[in-house]
Amino acid sequence: MPIEEDLFEKLRVELRRGSLILAVLGALRVERYGYTLRQSLEEAGLPIDEGALYPLLRRLEAQGLLTSEWREEAKRNKRFYRLSHEGEEVLAQLLGEWNAISESILRLTERDK
Amino acid sequence: MDLIDRYLHAVRWALPAAKADDIIAELRDDLVTRKEDREEALGRPLAKDEVSALLKEFGHPLIVAARYRPQQWLIGPDVFPFYLFVMRIMVLIIVGIDVAVGVARAVFSDQAPLQVLAQTWGSVWMSLLINLAIVTLVFAVMERSGFPAEHLRKWRPEQLPDIRDKRKSQWESMFEIAAGLVFILWWTGVIQFPFRSAGPDFRIEPAPVIFQLYWPILAVTAARLVQNLIEWLRPRWKAVRGALAVLTTVAGLGVLALIYQAGHWATIVSTGMPADKVAELDKALNLGLKIAIIVVGVIWVFQCLQVLWQLVRERRG
Repeated sequence: MPIEEDLFEKLRVELRRGSLILAVLGALRVERYGYTLRQSLEEAGLPIDEGALYPLLRRLEAQGLLTSEWREEAKRNKRFYRLSHEGEEVLAQLLGEWNAISESILRLTERDK
Repeated sequence: MDLIDRYLHAVRWALPAAKADDIIAELRDDLVTRKEDREEALGRPLAKDEVSALLKEFGHPLIVAARYRPQQWLIGPDVFPFYLFVMRIMVLIIVGIDVAVGVARAVFSDQAPLQVLAQTWGSVWMSLLINLAIVTLVFAVMERSGFPAEHLRKWRPEQLPDIRDKRKSQWESMFEIAAGLVFILWWTGVIQFPFRSAGPDFRIEPAPVIFQLYWPILAVTAARLVQNLIEWLRPRWKAVRGALAVLTTVAGLGVLALIYQAGHWATIVSTGMPADKVAELDKALNLGLKIAIIVVGVIWVFQCLQVLWQLVRERRG
């Protein structure tokens, strides 16, 4: 892989890493289990490394932003996650921050349009 | 055993035991669901290599399991700069001490230079490996204890060294510190050099004055070691630096004066050498020592004046 592409890939991964938490919190305003959550993120254009999703969900739950429960669906036990009350507040704050960053970047790069 | 079971077994092995069952149940559900989805899309069961590819996509078991651990690194990016700083100092000290010991061995012992070089080389690597391991372990513990949050809260820019502080080069400081350390360790008998204190027909014996001044010499050397360490690590402690420079110079000159007054610092004892040759060698040795004592005294006075002049300049500035 040429150096430029390699560098771009690293920067892209770095850029997306922070936004994934926001995407996961946003997607879990509706109750989902891991597999369907990953599918919905992928359909939205934000695929997540399979091995990284579940640890992230556990961490967000430990931080009180998500709640979870084991329930049977399609004859199998699945762990369902959804946004907690605290998670909703944090998501609102993060979205505000996200929009502010987006506007700042747009202002700074206006002449490049 | 099914490949998915083997994979999950490998993941479980590296998971925190308390959460392992819960995590494995969730991962199993995900992997089985994914496998069923692909089978449904293909209209047939997955072949072994297709299951293998699916698991490979999921990630190496050790990496998957490691993501569940709260500690993701041994020494993190916040601690690493401090770790690197201490490591650099440690490497300088170790190399300095080992090189000083090596030079002393080469000059004073009967060992062949190549043998000394090989011993010093081996000693440097062994010391480095042991100390690297110890420092790494200490910083790994510090990483877990929340360092450097408290340090970063407390530090002040005023503590940074003044640009006008004309500091000695690192190697100069390190050599002085290492030489001081080696001398103290040798003087107190902690380490020994196979000194060439005897020839085929004579031996050298130190004069009684050297033994009488054992403690003063040790005290002055220890004080100079502390002074060198402060000069190097804490150049902002100007009052301490000035006081130590004057103190060690006055005390050092006092001890040197006592030694100088003795007039005779080593004796050549014949073990077969003719008397006239003994007298000649004795005279030459003591003349050399006399010059060395004077040179050391002059250097100490010069160094003290240099430190004091620097402090006066800084105070004026």
